[in-house]
Order: sequence, then structure tokens, then C-alpha cells
Amino acid sequence: MNETSTTRVGTGMALPDGLLALIPDYLAHQRWFSGSGTPELGSLHVVDAGELAVTAGGWHQLLWAIVSVDSPTGGEAPPPAALGEADEPDAADAAAAGSGDGPTGAPAARYQLLIGARPNGERAEFLNGHEPSVLGSVGDRYYYDATVDSEMSLAWLQVITESAVAADRVRPVTAEQSNTSLVYDDRLIAKIFRRLHEGPNPDIEVTEALAGVDFAHVAEPVAVWRSGATDLAFVQRFLVGGTEGWALALTSLRDLYSVRPDDPREAGGDFAHEASRLGRMTAEMHLAMAQAFGVDRDRFRTDGWPGVLDEVEEQLRAVVGAAYSGSAEHLLDQLRTVVDPGPAIRTHGDYHLGQVMRTDTGWFVLDFEGEPARGMAERTAFTSPFKDVTGMLRSLQYATHFALLEREQHEQEELSVLADVWERHNREAFLDGYFATPGILALLPSGPDDRAAVTLAFELQKALYELAYEQAYRPGWVAIPEAAIQRILAGSYGGPDG
Amino acid sequence: MNPISSFQGDPQWYRTATFYEILVRGFYDANNDGTGDLPGVIAKLDYLQWLGVDCLWLLPFYQSPLRDGGYDISDFFTILPEYGQLADVVELVEEAHKRGIRVIADLVMNHTSDQHPWFLESRRDRTNPKADWYVWSDDDQRWPDARVIFVDTEKSNWAYDPVRGQYYWHRFFSHQPDLNFDNPEVAEAMLDVVRFWLDLGLDGFRLDAVPYLFERDGTNGENLIESHEYLKRMRKEVDNDFPGRVLLAEANQWPEDVVDYFGDGDECHMCFHFPVMPRLFMAIRREQRYPITEILGRTPAIPEGCQWGIFLRNHDELTLEMVTDDERDYMYKEYATDPRMKRNIGIARRLRPLVDNDRRVAELLHALLFSLPGSPILYYGDEIGMGDNIYLGDRDSVRTPMQWSPDRNAGFSRADFAQLYLPPLMDPVYGYQANNVEAQMRDPSSMLHWTKRMLEVRKRHPVFGTGSFEVISTENPSVLAYVRRECDDWTDGDAVLGVFNLSRLAQPAELPLQQYQGATPIELLGRVRFPRVGELPYFVTVAPYGFYWFQMVDQ
Repeated sequence: MNETSTTRVGTGMALPDGLLALIPDYLAHQRWFSGSGTPELGSLHVVDAGELAVTAGGWHQLLWAIVSVDSPTGGEAPPPAALGEADEPDAADAAAAGSGDGPTGAPAARYQLLIGARPNGERAEFLNGHEPSVLGSVGDRYYYDATVDSEMSLAWLQVITESAVAADRVRPVTAEQSNTSLVYDDRLIAKIFRRLHEGPNPDIEVTEALAGVDFAHVAEPVAVWRSGATDLAFVQRFLVGGTEGWALALTSLRDLYSVRPDDPREAGGDFAHEASRLGRMTAEMHLAMAQAFGVDRDRFRTDGWPGVLDEVEEQLRAVVGAAYSGSAEHLLDQLRTVVDPGPAIRTHGDYHLGQVMRTDTGWFVLDFEGEPARGMAERTAFTSPFKDVTGMLRSLQYATHFALLEREQHEQEELSVLADVWERHNREAFLDGYFATPGILALLPSGPDDRAAVTLAFELQKALYELAYEQAYRPGWVAIPEAAIQRILAGSYGGPDG
Repeated sequence: MNPISSFQGDPQWYRTATFYEILVRGFYDANNDGTGDLPGVIAKLDYLQWLGVDCLWLLPFYQSPLRDGGYDISDFFTILPEYGQLADVVELVEEAHKRGIRVIADLVMNHTSDQHPWFLESRRDRTNPKADWYVWSDDDQRWPDARVIFVDTEKSNWAYDPVRGQYYWHRFFSHQPDLNFDNPEVAEAMLDVVRFWLDLGLDGFRLDAVPYLFERDGTNGENLIESHEYLKRMRKEVDNDFPGRVLLAEANQWPEDVVDYFGDGDECHMCFHFPVMPRLFMAIRREQRYPITEILGRTPAIPEGCQWGIFLRNHDELTLEMVTDDERDYMYKEYATDPRMKRNIGIARRLRPLVDNDRRVAELLHALLFSLPGSPILYYGDEIGMGDNIYLGDRDSVRTPMQWSPDRNAGFSRADFAQLYLPPLMDPVYGYQANNVEAQMRDPSSMLHWTKRMLEVRKRHPVFGTGSFEVISTENPSVLAYVRRECDDWTDGDAVLGVFNLSRLAQPAELPLQQYQGATPIELLGRVRFPRVGELPYFVTVAPYGFYWFQMVDQ
């Protein structure tokens, strides 16, 4: 599919009289609205608006608008996901809301609206059960969120691709929190960005770049819709029937805990072959990133690496306190002896089992938005490929624990031994797949000891971050990063033997 | 010779046919000498008709010193005496045709036995009429890139013949010298062999080892264009003089390379699809469909009028080594290193022992075999769930006598037990006393009756043979679902949805069937109507190792 890219030119149209007054209440009920409570009408401004399409012989209208909402705090953080819902603290629920606007209060948050209009009295069964999607009635028409109306959604697709792309059916995907996603014909998925930011959306930027260098494991871009410098929507191939890596890993663990073979390789649901493929795909992703965005051979050594070590030391001191002068200090001393921590590349930035998807034709990587908690500059900065590698390794440990918590209390201690074995087995498989990929060593530190050291440092950094998060939001999970940190300090965490 | 009965009918019959592979020596012994024979096969044609198979594939029955199971042929025009004589073949073909069953036979083109008169003459000296019928050389240096196939026993593709004082080329065993197809006499001679048997009424051939016919400098001697051209020539002659006969190629290659043997629909009618078979086993072991969907995803489309031959087991070991290429396929590496699968490579196992005798898994595999794209080829005995005897040595383990009854020698032969070519299975699990055709015919719940029923249902829906194939991807990796359709629009023509649970646990699945909205699925075995497909993904639950075949009806 050739990708289309269209730009919405602002029309400066005004919204129909009275419609603006309906918007604050509507916004307050949307999951993607990051403000708290109902905004004051006076704080709302229409940045741009227009009519995208008319359908049903002119009776139905598809309206589009960007509204900005003044807010003293620039929006609040949504609460963290309930226990068991998210796999990791890196989910979008972490820390401050939005991104790209900086850590302190932003002037105004901008939101994209798609509004359908129908004549009063006309029935719309699709609105049943979608009360928050209804804005209300003004004059002779009523207004609603157009993305719940398949007629509007199908029209929207045609408009934004200038009729290059069309579909027969559409359904919304309900899992999304920060965007609105629509699946067309089980073939395409459109992400409509609700909270808008200046500058290129990293998910679009990276997906296009990787597809451009023929990296096969991203869902191909089909269309991009922008207004000026702002990305409004992204249409990609839909990975129908795909299974998240997290779900697949859990299936393997559940099988293992039920069957309890002596060797996880004997378990039918052995995940290691998939872990190995994941390793390889990760390396290919890094090679593609290097090809698309370049390689920086100095920055990480002079800048990034010392920063990582400083951060690790600071947090480790805070955690172990007086005991720092033992194994912790020794470890840091060793890490500081690394001369060449390797080059830096553009990385995925938020890499874990929830970001990869297994389809009938192989693994795919999703979501290049980067870590939601970090600012845009940080998210797109170059760093060591080991950041992604260790993100996945940490995810493997989390999976073992998550599945363990499903078991009866009395079984958990006994099964934790198996959990450990599974983790090492799959960690090894992942790393084997990664290091065996031709060409990857050129993006890594040249010495195997240095590679092991850098991996360890990133793992420690991640585990310390997780520890702080779990202490604050999920105390029952503190044991996971604690165990990892203890293992690392005890020197018994196998690094890669690349 | 008696008038030949030729089978009239649909020239593309093989696209919807079910095949049944028979080891002649192991099927039925009519003259009680301890070895199965052709009159024995004739005697069991009623059974095969009852079972519902459409075409028999007979393993080589030609004169042979039997140093390679009959694939070392010493006379293409004579039957191995233990099996009978030429008239038996004629009668077999006639009797089979009367019952609506076709017959194809193995044909080895690439080489002959070193006992073949052609070779005995060729080796005598360098000037005799057959001197150029084989590939001779003063040294053994030529074509170094051609791999040795039987690495366990052969060190080289060249063997020295002291009589002629030269080396001769052999891609297989050293007692199987390769014929020289660059010699027009050889090319013609092989066409004569083909014509001879088709004249007798045979419905086609399984062409053994076709990738190796020709050799050229600077190549690996496999899949050369000259080999394809020769096959096309053969196809043209067959189409001209013997329409409706089938050429089934045995090319142990990756699907992307096997398709070359279909040509543009002007070469072989059918080819075996080798890689799908181990992946069926792997998918069940892993309880994930990906091994299956991945290999079918990379199987190219084939020309109009062509067909894949698919199978679960055959007379050889679980063959992987000929379709491997480590870089191209993770699956092989995983399969080979998987501790439970490793035990099976290189050792021939029958289907039932391979699945630990789980009848549900055996049924599931057959349900897949009968509905995946291609024409299924059953191995004799799998319809009654026959076992194997690994202590007999690798390939013999799957070639034990067909188990007909609880009588002595499994009802296979009235010879002395000691005379039998191989002992029948007598263990408590698979032994013939309990596991035999007679008992299973009496037992309505038997594997035999189940297989017959499935073949009946399959026959009523030609779409299984000729339809398109589309995977319906669902989030539950243990569930495999696909649709076979006659037409682009499912409301015209037949459309069948297959849903398969590859797991030992019951599974739910939501199938994205929105493009079939409005269809009423009717389960094919029981004709029970299921809820109509609506706007939302279609929810199904499937029992452990269960499956559904749904006809999608527009009502």
C-alpha cells in the first residue's frame, strides 16, 4: 500500500452557534481529556474548525475542530491502573499527564474533536449505551462524537485520504485511553490523536522511518493526516488476530506452573523459541533504527553513560542506605571502569512484552511513542540499544511474577523456583537471538565484559525505577524489583555472554 | 493382452480426490508366501471402495534387487515376482476402475539399479550402444557443489567401476547409477516406460527424485531448467495421448522452490507439500497455530489446474532434512532441538505413536488434513490407527503388515509366521489382536468408521479441494480458523469455515467474521445450525483438540 499524507488546511470556520457551550461537559466525560472536572466555558477556545463531509444527501454533517483548554496545571496525571491491569510501571498511567509540554504547567492543552450532526428526532441506535458520546442538541440538530457512527467514520477515512483509501465496515477499539482508534475491515487501524502536540508524533515518525528502510516488523503506514506541524491521525495496517507478547508469555508460564516439568523446555508451551525470535527482531529493529536515524559513536560515552551511572548510584544509595559501602559500591566501581559503553542510536524507548505482538506471520513492534513519563526531547534522544534490551528482560521477570500471583498462596513459594528457571531460560534465549543477528555487534560495546556491564547498569536503573513506582502505587509488587536488585548486587544475575 | 479399460471422467479429478498409499508387500498376501502382492491388493478393493478413497498410490512394484525398498529398479517392464505379474497389474487397474478407484504408481526416473541390463551393458566398455546412457567420468571431481544426499552411507556422488575403469555419477546409493538425460535415447526410453504403463490403464505416476535429473557445471545439480523442460515434455506427451492421467512430483524442496515443478500449469499436475506436515505436529505440541499459518503464508499460489499433495505420514521417516535451510527457517532448528521432537527425527514413527496414541489428536490431525488446501494422501493403516515397531529398524518400523483381523498373522497371510516379510504388531497397545479392520468395522465408534464418515463429508464439498484458503486470525493462539471458498463472494458457491483447537484445554475464541455477516454456520458432521454471524466478532468455544467444519449458508 502506498502511503498517503494529507494536510488539513485550517478554514477558520466558526462552530455552529451554541455548539461550543456543549463541549465542556462532553470533554469532562472523555477518557482522553487530561483536565480534572469540567473546564470553564471561558477557558475554551476554538483554534480551528471545519466541515469535513456531508452524508445522507446532506442531512448528516461531519464537523472537525481543534479546541484549546486553558489550565493552570496543564492537566493532571490520571491515576495508575489497578493491580493486574497493567504489566509494568511504564504504562501510560505513570507520572505526569501528556508529554512534550514539559514538566511544569503548560499554557493550554489542545484537543481534536470529530463531531457528527443529525437532524433532531432522527434515530441513531449506535448511540445506545454511548451516552458520554452525545454532546446535546442545539437548534434543529443534535451533535455527537462522530467516531461512534460508522457512517461518519467511513466518510472520515475517505476524506483524510482524499479517496485513496476506503472501507466497507468499521468498529471502534475500546482499549485505547489516550487516542481514539478505529478498525476498518479488520484490515486497517486509524489512530485519531485526541490530545495534540506540536511537532511530529514519534510513533508516526519512527514507523514511517522503519518502514522506509524495509524493516518488516512494523505495521505498514497507510495514511497520515496533519494540520500544519501537528499530527492529527495515523492509519496503519491492522494486525488482526494478533496476540500481545505479554499474553503469550503468561500462557507459557501458566502451562509451566500447571504441568511442573523438571525442565521448562519439556513444557509444551515453551516460550523460548518465541523469545529467541523476539531477540532477533529486536536486533533487526536496532539495525533499522541505526540505518534510518544514524549512529552516534561518542555521545553515549561522554554524556549518556555517566548520567546513567550517576542516576543509579544516587538511587541505590537511597535504597540500601548504609549498606551501600558493600557490594553496591563495589558494583558501581566496576561499572565506572567501563571505557567504551558503545554507540548510541534512536531506540524504542518503552520496550517490553506489551509492545510486541505475535501474528500469524511473525512478531511486530508497536507503539513508538516512547516513555509517557518522559519529555519529548528525552524520548527521542539517542541512547544505548541495551536500554530496549533490558526493558524486555525486566518484562520477562514481571511476567513470571504476574502468573505466580494467580496461583494459590501455598503453591507460590514452590513455584517461584520454576519461575526463576523460566526466566533464565527465556532471558538466555532472547539474548541469544539478539546477539546472533548479523551486524548487531557493530552497534554494541566491543568487549563482552563491557556489554555485560552496560546491560547490568540498565537493568539496575530500570529495577530501581520500578522499586520506587511499586512502593508508591503497588506495594504488593515491591518484591519483584527488590529480588532483581538483590540478584544484581549478589552478582548472580547472568549478563549476556555475547 | 486384454483390452484396456481407461477411466473416463473429470480431467482434474486429482484436485478433489483422496489418495491412499499402499505398500504392496505389506497390504495383503494372496498366495500365502509371506509377502503381500498385487492379487492381494485386488482382493481388498471392496474394502477400499467401502472406505471411500479415490486413488491408490502403489509403492514401486518393478523388478528390483531390493537394496533400496524397490526404488532400485532393474527392469521397468517386469513386475517383481513376489508381487505377481503384469497381468495382475492389468486386472488391478480394471477392477479398481470398476469400483470408481484410480491407481497411480511410483516411477523412478533419475536412476536405475546397477543390476539393470542397461547399466550392465553400459559399464562393459566405452563404445557399446548404452555406453552413454549413464554419466561416466575419468575422475570424481566434477560438480563438487552437488550435495551428497545419503550422508550416512555415501561419501561422494561418484563411484568407481573397475569394469569400465571410470567413475559413474549417483545422487543416491552407489548401487543406483544416475541415468544420463542429456542422451536423447535415455530421454526417449523413459518416455517409453511412461507410455507402457499408461497404455495398461494406470492413471498416473508419483515421480521420484525429479530435482536431480540433469547436472551442469557450476550448479548444485538440483532444480535445473533442463529437468523442468524434460518434465514439460513428458507432460505434453501425457496430455496428448493420455488425457486425465496425473503426474505427482516428489520434490523435497521449500514451497517457494517446489512451485517451479508446476511450471505454468504445463509441468507436473501435483507436488507434495512437505513442510506443512511436521508443522502440524509442532503446532499441536506447542498448542499454537503459528507453525501452520506461517508455512501456509509463505506457500505461493499455484497455477490453475494444479494441486498440492498433503499427508500426515508416509513410508519414510519424518522427513525434515531435505527442506531445511537454517537461515530460512527457525522452525526446523526449533523442531530439531526440541527434546521431545528430536527423538522422532531419523526414526520413522506412525501417526498414532507420534501423538502418544491420543485418538482426539489423531482425529484433529485428520480433520486438518482433509480441509487444508491440497489433496490428502492417507498412509495404509492410519485409518485404523496402526502403531509401529521401532525395533525393526528405522524405515521398517512403519511398514508392518496391514492388520485385517484378530486371526493369525493379523489376517494378512496364511503363511507360517516365520515366513512373513516382517512380523505384525503384537504389543498390548497396538497389537493386531484388538486393533484390526474386522473389529473396527463392527464397532461403530471406531477410528475406521470415523475416517469413512469424514471422507464422505469431504466428498460432498469439493471446495475442500478446489477452494481458496483464508486464515481467520484470532487472538487466541491455540485456535486455528480458516475459510475455504469457491467464489470471491461467499454467498455464491460453497464456503466452509474450519475451526480447530490445537490445545489440550478447552478454548474460547472470537473470530473476526464480519465479512460473513448474515451467514448461518451449519456444522457439517451433525447438520446442526449455529447462531447467525452478526456485526460483532463471532464467539465460539471448542473442546480439547476439538474442531468444527461449518458450512456458511446465506439465509
